[in-house]
Amino acid sequence: MEERLLSLQEAVSRYVHDGDVVAVGGVGRNRSPMALVREIVRQGKKDLHIVGREKGMDFDMLIGAGCVRKVSFALVSLEEFGLAMNFRRKAQAGDIELDEHACNSVITSIRAAAMGLPFLPVKGMFGSDVFRVSKSLTEITCPFTGERLAAVRAIKPDVTIIHAHQADKFGNVRIQGSPFEDALKARAADRTIVTVEEIIEHEEIRANPHLTTIPYIYVTAVVHVPQGAWPASCDGYYESDREHVQEYASSTKTPEGFQEYLEKYVYSGRS
Amino acid sequence: MSDYTIAELMSVCMAKEVRDGDLLVQGLYSPMVMVGCWLAKRTHAPHAVIFNVSEGIEGRPRYLPYSTAEPELARDCVAFPDFLHVGELAARGRLDLVFLSAAQVDMYGNTNLSVIGDYCHPKVRLPGGAATTYFFGMAKRSVIWIVRQSRKSFVEKVDFITGVGYLDGPGAREKAGLRWGGPVRVITNLGVYSFDEESKRMKLDSRHPGVSVEEILENTGFELILPPEVPETPPPTQEQLRLIREMDPNGVRELEFKKEV
Repeated sequence: MEERLLSLQEAVSRYVHDGDVVAVGGVGRNRSPMALVREIVRQGKKDLHIVGREKGMDFDMLIGAGCVRKVSFALVSLEEFGLAMNFRRKAQAGDIELDEHACNSVITSIRAAAMGLPFLPVKGMFGSDVFRVSKSLTEITCPFTGERLAAVRAIKPDVTIIHAHQADKFGNVRIQGSPFEDALKARAADRTIVTVEEIIEHEEIRANPHLTTIPYIYVTAVVHVPQGAWPASCDGYYESDREHVQEYASSTKTPEGFQEYLEKYVYSGRS
Repeated sequence: MSDYTIAELMSVCMAKEVRDGDLLVQGLYSPMVMVGCWLAKRTHAPHAVIFNVSEGIEGRPRYLPYSTAEPELARDCVAFPDFLHVGELAARGRLDLVFLSAAQVDMYGNTNLSVIGDYCHPKVRLPGGAATTYFFGMAKRSVIWIVRQSRKSFVEKVDFITGVGYLDGPGAREKAGLRWGGPVRVITNLGVYSFDEESKRMKLDSRHPGVSVEEILENTGFELILPPEVPETPPPTQEQLRLIREMDPNGVRELEFKKEV
């Protein structure tokens, strides 16, 4: 095991490249890797293909800041704060390519990549226009039973970005509470960057190895960023900052408002 | 004036859809579903298993949170069966019930959460259906709710099928390759609806107190099947209201009625 603690700036500049497929951890506004998202925006990464199921501010910010070429998603929304306006504007203008899924099919596409497979079968997509228009889904017949199934193409992340609770300096990561499919995203990717609330002693990891949710073998860089999910929540540490999400939602009503938001909260250097 | 809100009435209607022992899914941004499912669990369906976006089951939230992905919903839960588990259970025919909303629903219970207008050049790009496409195909029973029933939301034909209802009528789901399931109920701010067994077309079950059949028809963009007599939706009981207000002190259930659309 090697030490893999880096700064936010180093981790993103070394391991996120223009054109990468980036799987993003968390769901809704729970454990979204917002510090990493802000750093990606600050470094002006381009042409990313972002992947996730039910995403919010993280996707909307990357899209609005012009970092994104393609989006594989099942939903992008700010929930009670309304439509994700950057996503909506760029999608309506045709500025981003959309790869629309159901939660299960986009997760299955990552599962296929983790297994080194070009596709996996998935049930239940038939009859929908999501299936009809998708370039990632097609009908196949089971060679053993003759059952009709949808095949979903693998999505192989170049890099996965996650915010988690704890890790040691070698990258043994503990996610507490809602797991989502973050460990799967790490297993599927070539590289994984994890920001954590706390760096813990390596001996603590060895004392309770069953609590390690992502072993170091999948982790490329660990960054110590307390409040790294803000304004999203992090189970057991803090709830989401609804006042701030409201401010974000209001600011994104116009592209100018969003630019002002970025100046104030992202380019000014807050991690 | 009634002593309850439309959100409370709709939450109670949703609770009634839950059967004891159901494995059910309550999705993202579904405040009334959250309230309804927890109400059912506190009353007639203690053995229902609520899969929610926080992924904790049998949690003991101190209050129902604003977002259904928030950690509070998983407080003191027994386990975190993540979304892969739910997908697996659904694929094996073990998921009993899902609740999912839509921007548009048509007479056959097909729903749209993707686009208004042309798919490639949409007038409005909507958020997407989250798990809708999968769960409408795989759950045994699907329940749709619509916050604002109008000719814009109750349409002859949806612009895009995100959630598969009965497509264009009897036998169409099976022909498409779906072996079970389909929508069983639609709950709106005006009434409660189900689907005719033979034609698979939407029919009116009940109108909410104070809502006339005429008002329902004015806000329906297709030919609705009407029973000879249209009963009124029973109002919430005092005990139901007490439990709802106790579980949801922040009034999360009202969120969808506050949001601008």
